[in-house]
Formats: sequence, C-alpha cells, structure tokens
Amino acid sequence: MRTLFASPILRFVGRRLLYSLVVLAGVLVLAFALVHLVPGDPVRIALGTRYTPEAYQALRSASGLDRPLVQQFFSYAGSALTGDLGVSFRNGDPVTATLLERLPATVSLAIVGILIALLIALPAGIWSALHRGRISDGIIRVTSQFGVSIPDFWMAILLIGLFASTLGWLPTSGYRPLLTDPGGWLRHVILPGLTVGLVAAAIMTRYVRTAVLEVASAAHVRTARSKGLAPAVVTSRHIVRNALVPVLTITGIQLATILGGVIVVEVVFAWPGLGRLVYNAVAARDYPLIQGAVLLIATLFLLINLIVDVLYAVVDPRIRLS
Amino acid sequence: MTDMPSGDNLRVSSWRLLLANPLTLASGVVLIAVAIAAGTARWIAPSGINDVDVPNALQPPSGAHWFGTDELGRDILSRVLVAMQASLQVSVVSVAFAVVVGVTVGVVAGYRGGWADIVFMRVVDVMFAFPVLLLALAIVAILGPGMTTTMLAIGIVFTPIFARVARASTLSVRTEPYVAVSRTMGTGHGFILSRHVLPNIAGPLIVQTSLSLAFAILSEAALSFLGLGIQPPHPSLGRMIFDSQGFVTLAWWMAVFPGAAIVVIVLAFNLLGDGLRDVLDPKQRTLAEARRNR
Amino acid sequence: MRRPAVLTAAAILLTFVLAACSTGERVDLGGGSTGNLVAAIAGEPDQLDPQKTSAYFSFEVLENVFDTLVEPDANLEMRPALAESWEVSPDQLTWTFHLRKGVKWHDGTSFTADDVVYSYRRIIDEKLANAYRFATVTGIRAPDPSTVVLTVQQPTPNLLTNIGGFKGMAIVQRKNVESGQIATHPIGTGPFAFVSQRSGDSIVLRANPDYWGGAPRLSGVTFRFISEPSTALSALQAGEIDWTDSIPPQRVAQLRDDDSITLAVTPSNDYWYMALNEAREPWNDVRARQAIAYGIDRAAILAATSYGTATANQLAIPKGSFWYTPYDKYSHDIDKAKRLLDEAGVGKQSLDMLATGDYPETVTAAQIVADNLAPLGITVNIHTVDFATWLDMQNSGDFGMLMMGWLGNIDPDDFYYAQHHTDGKFNAQKFSDPEVDRLLDAGQVETDRQVRRQDYAKAATIIADKVSYIYLYNPSVIQAWTPDLSGYRARRDGAIRFRDASLGRDGAN
Repeated sequence: MRTLFASPILRFVGRRLLYSLVVLAGVLVLAFALVHLVPGDPVRIALGTRYTPEAYQALRSASGLDRPLVQQFFSYAGSALTGDLGVSFRNGDPVTATLLERLPATVSLAIVGILIALLIALPAGIWSALHRGRISDGIIRVTSQFGVSIPDFWMAILLIGLFASTLGWLPTSGYRPLLTDPGGWLRHVILPGLTVGLVAAAIMTRYVRTAVLEVASAAHVRTARSKGLAPAVVTSRHIVRNALVPVLTITGIQLATILGGVIVVEVVFAWPGLGRLVYNAVAARDYPLIQGAVLLIATLFLLINLIVDVLYAVVDPRIRLS
Repeated sequence: MTDMPSGDNLRVSSWRLLLANPLTLASGVVLIAVAIAAGTARWIAPSGINDVDVPNALQPPSGAHWFGTDELGRDILSRVLVAMQASLQVSVVSVAFAVVVGVTVGVVAGYRGGWADIVFMRVVDVMFAFPVLLLALAIVAILGPGMTTTMLAIGIVFTPIFARVARASTLSVRTEPYVAVSRTMGTGHGFILSRHVLPNIAGPLIVQTSLSLAFAILSEAALSFLGLGIQPPHPSLGRMIFDSQGFVTLAWWMAVFPGAAIVVIVLAFNLLGDGLRDVLDPKQRTLAEARRNR
Repeated sequence: MRRPAVLTAAAILLTFVLAACSTGERVDLGGGSTGNLVAAIAGEPDQLDPQKTSAYFSFEVLENVFDTLVEPDANLEMRPALAESWEVSPDQLTWTFHLRKGVKWHDGTSFTADDVVYSYRRIIDEKLANAYRFATVTGIRAPDPSTVVLTVQQPTPNLLTNIGGFKGMAIVQRKNVESGQIATHPIGTGPFAFVSQRSGDSIVLRANPDYWGGAPRLSGVTFRFISEPSTALSALQAGEIDWTDSIPPQRVAQLRDDDSITLAVTPSNDYWYMALNEAREPWNDVRARQAIAYGIDRAAILAATSYGTATANQLAIPKGSFWYTPYDKYSHDIDKAKRLLDEAGVGKQSLDMLATGDYPETVTAAQIVADNLAPLGITVNIHTVDFATWLDMQNSGDFGMLMMGWLGNIDPDDFYYAQHHTDGKFNAQKFSDPEVDRLLDAGQVETDRQVRRQDYAKAATIIADKVSYIYLYNPSVIQAWTPDLSGYRARRDGAIRFRDASLGRDGAN
C-alpha cells in the first residue's frame, strides 16, 4: 500500500490527467465542428414552415449563428466550462438540464447491463480458463464468439418478440424510475438490460478467460501449487484475487463502450436515455442538443478510460514508466 | 493453440496450422460461399428485389419463396442476397479506406517519430474518445444518409485502430538493432520500410482487417437500421430488420433471415480473425490488446 | 463458482415473480373521480401553443386544454362552445357571438370577450399559419365582456368552421402568451389543465373542476409518447395504458377478435394524396402528370398502407359527407401511361420522391410507386427524412413528388382552397388554373348549399383531371382502448376528447 503514495503513481496520474484534458479540448473542437458542418439551416427548421424574415433574423442572432465560427466556438467552450451548454432549438429547454434528466436512465441501463454481463462472463470465463482445451471450454468460446456477432438491435427485437409480444411476460418498451416504482423499473429494465448484457458478456468472457490464463501461469501460482496446496485453494485465493484488477479494467472498458453503444438499444426499447436523445436530436437537427450530448458522452467515455488506465497502472508498474 | 514464433520463413507451417483449425477452416469456406453468393446476387436471386406483390404479402417460407415474403410481397431471399452484397461492399470499401489511411498515418508516426508522431497520435486519441457508433452517426448526419456516406463514415471511424496497430508494429521494428545498423550502412528508408517494417506489420494488420470487417458489417447494419445507411428501396439487412418490427408476431421470417445473414457473415469474419491471430500474432491475445483496441 | 450461480437464479426467479404479480393497477382516487387515463400517442408535440403548432400530436393533447368559440359535434356540425349563441345580420356581414358567463382560465382568472379579441388579433397581426381563415374578416370587437362581434366583407358561409373547426383557432390568454409560457406551459379554458411535460416521455394533464361543460369524471390524463405502434398496442393489451391511436393497420384484422380491448375503425375526413412538383420539368405538362396517375397501382398502395381499413377515393371528400362527389377516371393502366408520356415527349426520367419516416405509409407507398413506374422508364429516387426536414423541403420546392395527408377537414373549403388555389398558402405543387380559382372563390361566399356543392364538385373534378393532387384514399381513424373506458368515442375529424370519459371497472354508464 505504501506504493500508492509514492510519486511515480501521482506523476503518472497527473500526466494522464493533463493528457486527457488535451484530448477533451480536441473532443470539444470536433463536436463543435461536426455539428456546424451539418447542411440544412437549423434556424429555418426550428421556425417551421412559415415565419417572417424578422423572426428568422431574430432567432439567428439569438442563437449566435451570425457571428464568425471561431467566435462561436470560444463562446461555446467558455460557457460549456461553466456548465451552460445552451438551449435546445426545439423547445428552448436548457441542454444541460435535459442531458442530466436523461442520464439516469442510460446509467441504470449500463449498470444493469454490466451486472448481467459480469454474472455471466465471470463464471463462464473462469470455468473456460480452468478447463482449457476441454469441450466445455470450446463450447463457451464458440458461444461467446456467437454473442459478439449478433447485432444488438436484432437481439432486442427477437427478445421483445418472444418475451413481450408473444408470451406477454414483460413490457415491450418504456421506463419506470427506480425510486418511484422499483417493481416497474425492474420489469422494464430486464429486456434492454439483457440485450446490452448478453453482448457485453460475450465480449467479456474472452477477456476474463485470458486474464485468468495469464494469472494462472504466473510464477507464484505455480509455486503455490508445487507447495502442495489443493487446487481449489489455489484457485480461489490466488487466481481470482490477482485476476480481479484486470477484470475490473475490462469492466470499465465495457462500461465505456456500452455508453456509446446504447443508442440503438434505447431506440428499440423507447428508453428515455442519452442515446435516444442523440438520435432524436440528430433527426431534428437540434444543434445545441447534439453538441451537448456528444460532448457529455465523449467526456464520460474519456473519464472511464482514464480511471481504467490509472487502475491498470496501479497494477502494472511497467505502464507507469512508459 | 500453441504459440508460434512469427516470421515469414515459417509461412508453410503457418498455413498448415491455419487449416488445421476446424473453425477457421469452416469460416473461410463460409466466407468464400458468401462472397460468391453476394457477388452473383442479382443473377442468382429468384425474384426482383422490388417486385411488389401486395396480394402475396406476409407469406411464410415456402417452395416459391424460401425465406417468405415481406409486407409488400417482395421475396425475402432475393432481398437478403442483394443486401448481403451491399453490406460486403460497404465493409470492404470502408475497411480498405481505413487500412490505407490508417496504416500510412501509423507507419509515418511510428517511423518518423517526433512531431508527426505527436500530432497524428493526438488526433487518433481524440477520435478514440468517441464511441464508434456515435461518431459514425454524427458523420452520416452531416453528409446525409446513403451508401457512399456510410462507407466514408465507417472508414473514417475505423482509421484510428489501424493507425495504432501499424504504429505499434512499426515502433517495435524501428527499435531493433538491425535497423539501426542498416541505417548506418546507408540503406534507404524505402528499403527498410518494405523489407523490415511492412512484413512485421502484416500479421497484426491482417488479423485486425478481419476483425474490422466483422465490425464494419455490424456498424453498417446499425446505421441502416436507424435509417441513416443504405436507403430504401435498395435492400439492406439493417433496414429489413427495422421493417420487421411491426410484423414480429405476424411474420417472424422477416426478422429472422436478415439477422441470421448478419450473424453468419460476422461470425465467419470473427472466427477467421481469431484463427489468423493465433497463427500470425499470438502476442495480441492479451489484456493490453483490449486496452489498445477498445 | 457457486455464489454467482445462486445469485443469478434468485434474480431470475424474482424477475418472474414480479412480472407475474404486477398488472399495472391504477390507484382509484375515489370521491367521484374515476382515476387517471393513460393515453399513448405516436409522437411528441413540437410545442403547446395551439395557434402556432401544426403537428397532429400537439392537437391530440391541446383538444383537451383549450376551447374555441364554437366546435364540431359528433356529426361535424358546429355547436356552441365558449359562445353560447350567435346571430348573423340579414346582410350576412355581421356575426354576433354571445359568450358563456362564468368561464375561468386554468389559473383562476375570468374569461372575457377581450380574450377572444386578443386571440384572433394575434393570429391576424402576427400572420400566423391560420390567418387565412380570417381572410374575409374586417373587424373584431368586444362591445361588452360577454359579446364578440365579427364583421366580414362578404358573406362567409363557412365562418363557423373557420373559427372553430380545430384547436388551431383556440382562445388563448394574453398573459400566458406575453410571458412566453404558452409554448411550454399553456393555460386554457378546457376540461383539463396542463401540469407538466417530460421531454421524450409524457405530458400530464389534470382535471379542471370548474370546466363550463361540467367537471370531467377522470382525475387527469397522461399522454405518453410511444413511437413504435406494436409497442403501444402491447402496452394496451397488457393494461399499462388505457387508450392509443398508434395502431399498426396490419394488426387490425386480428384485433377485431381481441376481447381485451375495444377497437374503433371509423371513417374519417382525412385524406392521403400524392403531388407532383409542377415547377419542375416535365411535370408542368399535364399529360406527364396524368401518366403518373395512370401508372401507379392504387389498390396495392391502399392494401399495403391500410390493410383494408381505408376507403379508396380519387377526390378528397369522403363518401357519407354531404359534399361528396363520385369520380373514378383513373385506373392502373400502364399502356395509357406510356402513351401519355410519349405524347408529352418524356423519355427516360428520374423522379425525386420525398417521404418521411415519421409517417411510415409514405415510405411504404414510395417503394410501391418506384416499382410501378420503373416499366415506364422512370427511376424513382426515394428521399426519406424526418418530418421537419420534409416540411422544409416541400416548402422550398425541393422535391419531384411527395405523399402526405391532410387531417381533420370539415368544410369543403378546408379540403380544396389552400392547396389548389393559385394563391393558396399550402399550394406547394404550384398548381394554377383560373377556372378552379374562380370556382373556389365562388364557393367561399355562396350561401346556397346546393349551388355550393356544385361549385366544389366542378372544382374537384378539374383538380383531379389536371392532376394537381393524385388522391389516394380516405384512411379510417383507428383507435383502441380498454373496455373499462366509457364516455369516449372516436371522431371523424380525429379530435381526441376525453371530457366525458370515465374509467370504471364495473363498466357503469
């Protein structure tokens, strides 16, 4: 534990943090550029089918669209730092508030997905590693390959078709907040969570297997074995504990990936989260909302990856010094 | 899966090893079959892809229509074949784009180092900060939906990974002593690149290509599903799955066959990639790869 | 690894227990109120200002929040609403409306004639979309707090439908408008008051106990936005929602036998059409347009978009209306189409067809049309965009052909004027015919019903002969609700009125 407070770690964290901020600046520029290159006049679309030239000009200057692009960018970046991401073109709601309103739904979906994934991937990956080369290992590996190859929206539709439309056990879509209606929340989160979780499980199983294999072949485990400790003891104490951190880093990576990949699942399940928000905003050419959502998702992505990298460095000193 | 040292003088044994793995072999065969079917799609398709025949809509699979008919009476088998062709087209073109641009960037960055390295890799890092689908969505939103823009979007989004793979391999070669010796002897950069660097990156590159092809097919399907990819009436697997939503209880075949087609192709590419990896680049099967490739 | 397995098993078991138990029971508030109604509509209102929005989704909600001076009854005849009674002067130029007394806005303030004047002046002065309905109105004044006088420059037989046909002419509150709140927090005089909106999810309304038509029996209405029709239907069958109009037409046949829901398939006054852009060559040539009218397979389009629930119609006004005119000149005749194209000198041609994902029938039809026109040498390029972009492209003439529907029409003038008159505000296809203009202008002021009907019959015939629109069909209003819902019926004009509805498990009244 002493090593945690030694300077190399802090220096590494500091460097990574700085580096992340640079990347974040790049993200900001890219998000801004992307959205402002969209063809189609957002002011015209926001005003609908009929409007006066005065109304057009008014909205245009109110949105700041008549100022030079560079100026628009810096003003946007400046307010973004204070948490103000502008207002939606469609309903005038502040973007930040809308994003924060939709965040819990996506987060709960991501967490449920990861939990389901872990519930499946941990036992499967460990079993597969420990029974390497046997038939059960092969079955697990092929199944996980299969899982990686399934489009998530297809799985979602099939799950809905079977469990919701045909059997009627679960609702076809929608969301209930956890705090006001826990039972409803659970019923509604199962199918989307399964969709996200099964695919993530397929990916994670392989990495868990690899992580366990790497640890199992490590010297100290072989030493423990040669000391005559029972295989079960070796398994539970050494392998699992030492594979834990790599597995945590995998979980972190998957969590970040899920955050970006939930768009399609949220659309299919009418899940009121960030992904569906981005999709609707793109369809409606709601610039400020698209910008804000992309920025938020990319920032979360960066943040999680930063934490993963730091965790990984804690484990593997070689990375720290690179 | 035994560990094999990489090296082109072991190519013969590599092939044998590749073929010995039944899964890899099977995937290869499947992909060849798929390629043939897709390539000849319009000729072997039993019906037109847009032969609307509303009185015969929503027919289950039968002798006349092996995969059944959709809500407009169109033959699903024909549409799946042509859609597969489009999917493969999009994936191959976009991955080719990503390989060409990404490898160039990665090799230059890894070989020259210095400013080129810093700038290119920071740009790559910024692109990595965006989840894949989100970035592709944004690009397609800018350029407008359609097959060409989908190719471009997926190509752009996949470039960073090839850049990283190429750079990593280039770096590992560049620091080899025999390269430094070559340079002091006056050997040109071009010679070093073609003799030492490219063969070294070939292995990981081939593996990544196969895996990226798999992911490209999934990405194209997702974009088409969202209405931003290949536009109707040209069939696309993702769009066919989207259209099947309203008919899940009435016509399960509308959802099952296009989805199965995707799974078969993607699975084949994935298994092939895995098999290739075991032979060409066993070092990659580690956690480090997971972090790098995200 | 025993522990994870046990946890997994427990979780799965718990899931199924919960799924089996919960049936989405509604809380009965008692005290005469029969609970909250949950209605699912297919999209989210773009805004809640009734005078500015043009989205049907908005009107589904606002129908219950606002009132007009007069409103259509079940037979689409105009009857009193905020106006108790009215007279027309003998010269037909002065309309005097006597307003109901004691009506209150949702914020408790009193409704007066000034509100009416303000509302109408707002539409006219701000040149809002519906200003054309006041085209003949020269004066609006309130001689006293419960009387409004409208003066018109010529006899206007359809004045009542103009000011009350739909909630786009709703009476709004000055304070609500001037504070800018109306688009997001509307205040009206209707049976339900706005409570809140959760973007992307729902709008909540609560009952207005002081409503002039009597306090609603429901305690409130929650409008949820469910864009996937099969989702809404499953939710209804599962008891999670009480009402929906988001029903895939292909499911209607099997729903008729479903005892768990009440299905309504009602003929409506809506109509779907296709239009060719006459500002683009060669569609300025009437023969080319007629070729298209003969080239498309209407029966296939009808079947694929409505699954037998719609009625084919080559004009706009549906059968059963007093103003109906029979007409069936066109048929699916490829040879005739080819001949017409040759006559017009049209060779191989590409056609940009505009469709929108927000109305899936347009995408379906576009694909059928593409197949229909291919043998004629016409390559149809389908552009599918969202509705906002669709409107934009339509209004800037950025299309070759498009398909859309007009909803909720009552008076024949509603059906034809704005779309086909040379000066019509919604004439995006740029059709212009002096005889049609003359007939439509005449129809606007003709007070003799029979003569009026003749005017419109002639105008409609020319419109169809000259292919300003290719009319396709009148869809049905398709809605479904729980058998526990009473006091509600599906209306021809698609207006959703929950004011008399109640939810009762015993199915009383």
